[in-house]
Amino acid sequence: MASSEPPIVKVIGFAKRYKKQVAVDGVDLEIKKGEIYGLIGPDGSGKSSLMKAMAGVLTYDRGTVEVFGTLVDSERAAERVKQRLGFLPQGLGLNLYPDLSVEENIDFFAQLRLVPEQALAERKARLLAMTRLDKFRDRAMKNLSGGMKQKLGLICTLIHEPELAILDEPTTGVDPVSRRDFWAILAQLLQEKGMTALVSTAYMDEASRFHRLSFLWEGKVLVSGTPTEVQALVPGSMVTFEAAPQVDAIARLKTQYMQVEALGSALRVFTEEPIPAAAMQSITSSLGTIKPVQFRVNEPELEDVFVALLLRQGEQPSVIEMPSVVPFTPNDALAIEAKGLIRDFGPFRAVDHVSFQVKSGEIFGLLGANGAGKTTVIKMLNGIMPPSGGEGRVAGADMRTAGGAIKERIGYMSQAFSLYLDLTVVENIRLFAGIYGLDRRATDQRLKWVMSMAGLKGYESNLTGRVPMGVRQRLALGCALVHQPRVLFLDEPTSGVDPIGRRHFWNILSRLAKEEGVAMLVTTHYMSEAEHCDHLALMYAGRIVADGSPADMKLSVEKEAGHLFEVLADDPGSALLELQRAGFAGAALYGTRIHLFCRDPAGDKDRACNALESIGVKINSVTARPLSLEDVFVYRVMALERQDRAGGHEAAA
Amino acid sequence: MNIRRIAAVASKEWRETVRDRMFFSLAFVLPILWMLVFGYGLILDVENIPYAALDGDQSARSRDYLYRFQQSRYFDFKGALTDEREVEPLLASGRIRAAIIIPEKFGERLNAGRMVGVQTLIDGTFPLRTDITKGYVIAINSAFNEERLVDYISRKSGISRVQAEHRARPIKLDVRYLYNEEVRSSWSMVPALVMFTLMLSSPLLTALGIVREKETGSIYNIYSSTVTKVEFLVGKLLPYALISSLNTVVLWIMATRWFNVPFRGNLLFFLAASLVFVLCGTGLGLLVSLLVRTQIAALIITIIITMVPTILFSGLIVPVSSLGPGSQFQAHLFPGMYYTNIVRGTFLKGIGPEVLWMDVLALALYAVILRFVGYGLFTKRPRS
Repeated sequence: MASSEPPIVKVIGFAKRYKKQVAVDGVDLEIKKGEIYGLIGPDGSGKSSLMKAMAGVLTYDRGTVEVFGTLVDSERAAERVKQRLGFLPQGLGLNLYPDLSVEENIDFFAQLRLVPEQALAERKARLLAMTRLDKFRDRAMKNLSGGMKQKLGLICTLIHEPELAILDEPTTGVDPVSRRDFWAILAQLLQEKGMTALVSTAYMDEASRFHRLSFLWEGKVLVSGTPTEVQALVPGSMVTFEAAPQVDAIARLKTQYMQVEALGSALRVFTEEPIPAAAMQSITSSLGTIKPVQFRVNEPELEDVFVALLLRQGEQPSVIEMPSVVPFTPNDALAIEAKGLIRDFGPFRAVDHVSFQVKSGEIFGLLGANGAGKTTVIKMLNGIMPPSGGEGRVAGADMRTAGGAIKERIGYMSQAFSLYLDLTVVENIRLFAGIYGLDRRATDQRLKWVMSMAGLKGYESNLTGRVPMGVRQRLALGCALVHQPRVLFLDEPTSGVDPIGRRHFWNILSRLAKEEGVAMLVTTHYMSEAEHCDHLALMYAGRIVADGSPADMKLSVEKEAGHLFEVLADDPGSALLELQRAGFAGAALYGTRIHLFCRDPAGDKDRACNALESIGVKINSVTARPLSLEDVFVYRVMALERQDRAGGHEAAA
Repeated sequence: MNIRRIAAVASKEWRETVRDRMFFSLAFVLPILWMLVFGYGLILDVENIPYAALDGDQSARSRDYLYRFQQSRYFDFKGALTDEREVEPLLASGRIRAAIIIPEKFGERLNAGRMVGVQTLIDGTFPLRTDITKGYVIAINSAFNEERLVDYISRKSGISRVQAEHRARPIKLDVRYLYNEEVRSSWSMVPALVMFTLMLSSPLLTALGIVREKETGSIYNIYSSTVTKVEFLVGKLLPYALISSLNTVVLWIMATRWFNVPFRGNLLFFLAASLVFVLCGTGLGLLVSLLVRTQIAALIITIIITMVPTILFSGLIVPVSSLGPGSQFQAHLFPGMYYTNIVRGTFLKGIGPEVLWMDVLALALYAVILRFVGYGLFTKRPRS
């Protein structure tokens, strides 16, 4: 069996310092042949250093790194294993050559590895077909979309068919559809060629894609094992329900539970009680007079497990106080209204008749792949970019005529955080107060409010460049709110922040909405975060193609596509192929498990089981799973892509 | 060494350089632009000095004296003045750089055999230009004095003007300038500018080309593959050396056809020596690229370490032989000086390897040492 074979990678006591900064401090790791091993952790947790050292492109300070039984401790030793390795560095498409075409990029990598002409031609044809890049052979790499760059990066890394592929955050910054595509291609290649892969990711929800994984936190391994093993470390349940008034309910729950999240009107609580009935019981009792309704109990996701483990470690989010300036009473006043917004860039229509409404106190999520038109919508509503057609009102002002007036009523927080890293935390807040023309009294008042709202106490005189990402993110939020805007725009606000930091951030956002009545428009790539929104709109090719509350959206997909099931089988690779042959087109591999949609649960389940038994695969279990928003996103976008392709064929014919 | 891998690196590099607009201009447009800008900017001939005259005498003598300035190609007459107070503002505004003021009774006093002072005001802002202007004024003045003397002798001794001239100027100086017959500064500057342009452009292109890969992270493709250090360095530097060699030819054509500087040496020798110099330049760029992480740092450092010593110690403006001993020593440390000897020697003097072999050898040594240092510093497994 695989376990008796020597491991492909063996790391013991690994440590790496950059000058005085400790990046990795004592990591042990073993990767077995044929598995997809995951390194999970937020930015700066040490993933890249570890991967580079294994690839032989970075020195290290302590410990041993053995790859294919060779101790990689010098440049000479590293050279010996490099032919058997493929390394994809971090940064979407950054290691590719922008001015070279897709084919030229592949050829370059192949020639560097001395792949024979014949083999190169065969592999290239196959990989290009598999990634659907064959139509773009001659396109310069710089003109590819994010998802295409990512696939090209993968082809280039695997063109010499390495035995071990080391892929550093290959899915960061790519939309969910391309990400799913990526995992499918990777799984197929690994299986066909018997490759092993080490993959890092900052998306916690990708953890279930791995056979085994290590969760890295501040340079140390917090936990490692198979997803099932990791889940078993923190037994418990995730209880979702509705309770009103929500603000009071949260306050009561927080006294007993560490993980309490507001998801729109619903609440999500982690309890260590694994039995559903008992879990519901204990929550009801802790809520006292508030009566919870619409209970749902699920197994905790891996992300919940990581958060629980971090909380056990004593990682405490700083306490936040939100001294309310004007108590907010919910009303139906519209904060943002877009009516038939259009934006053309030359012949290209980036935004096509987009309409939506956001009430005060509501969090509105705009989802979509890169280039779907999300940022253009935000820019038009902000008054930065004039629309080609349609109208929009923000905080009561017409965006076409108000200009400067809009900017005083809105706050904007960008992906890049736009803070001055060489100023201290307080100096940054004062600077933004000055930019918005606050007088001294108002500045002092707002400074106090921002410090307590964002939990920045203790960081006052720290340089912004030196504080952790999570703190920096909350500071950016505070700066965007310093002039008390009624409307807040957040453009991918949580990139690169650790899971606790992200939850903390969303906690603040939902309190801002509920207690201060701030209306928010958020774009995000983390589908798990979209659950926090009251209302969602999915953009595709400049249009809004679906909208509703997260629950509504899931429901409508369930009606169309059926329920989601998870199959545990002996030989997941061939099982997947067989299921796809049997007509389950949406079937996908998650580590060793298979996910598939069944429209008619009973009948389809039997059909799937029969198909698998016919090729001699033993089924261990079939369980129903709740749909995630990522499932919704992927289902919707794939359907539209199919439609587009069909439309294209008709047009061509 | 595997030729296929070298070819892969080199052809990728070539295609990137040619297709990227910024690198394309850096490689092919910048050197031409540089040559044109500095070619016109650094020509130091002083001609057409703008001046004004104040004739306080208005006699035949004073007009004769001033006429000599108007005749000269070194002076450009801007107008006659009537009041001394007009002089100052004209000089201050730079509209004239010299003023000649002839006092009253100039002719009368000359005829009476008395000395007359002619006040000459010269703009002293740039000492070099001032000295040259002063030299021209003195020369014209002396010629006028001499003629007065010749007249006097011929009148007193009753001999012809020609005889009188022989007595007054018994020794005639016969000067012939070699190599740059008309002492045009363009003949001396333009070949040195070929050096200056190559000295800047080839290290800059190389340094940016390598650091670009570090900045984007594509250098990890090299680190993590089996391409050897030598293969990578050879493949990477090859296109840059080729581009700079092409530029040498272009610059040579510009110097000889556009600036009309004669080329008297052996073209083959010049091109061979230039290739060695280009290898020095790319080696220097390689060195810089290994020490920095960002393109902007590479740009600044390359400009500082190439521009400053090249302007000061390469013989571009001041000949190395007239530098102080300390500066002379420094001059020998930079490749610019050796190549300046080669370009000036081949263009103007028509000399070849028999004289210049030491310079070529020095450059070759330089190129080899830079490569060894570069090889030593480059690692596929860095510390960070």
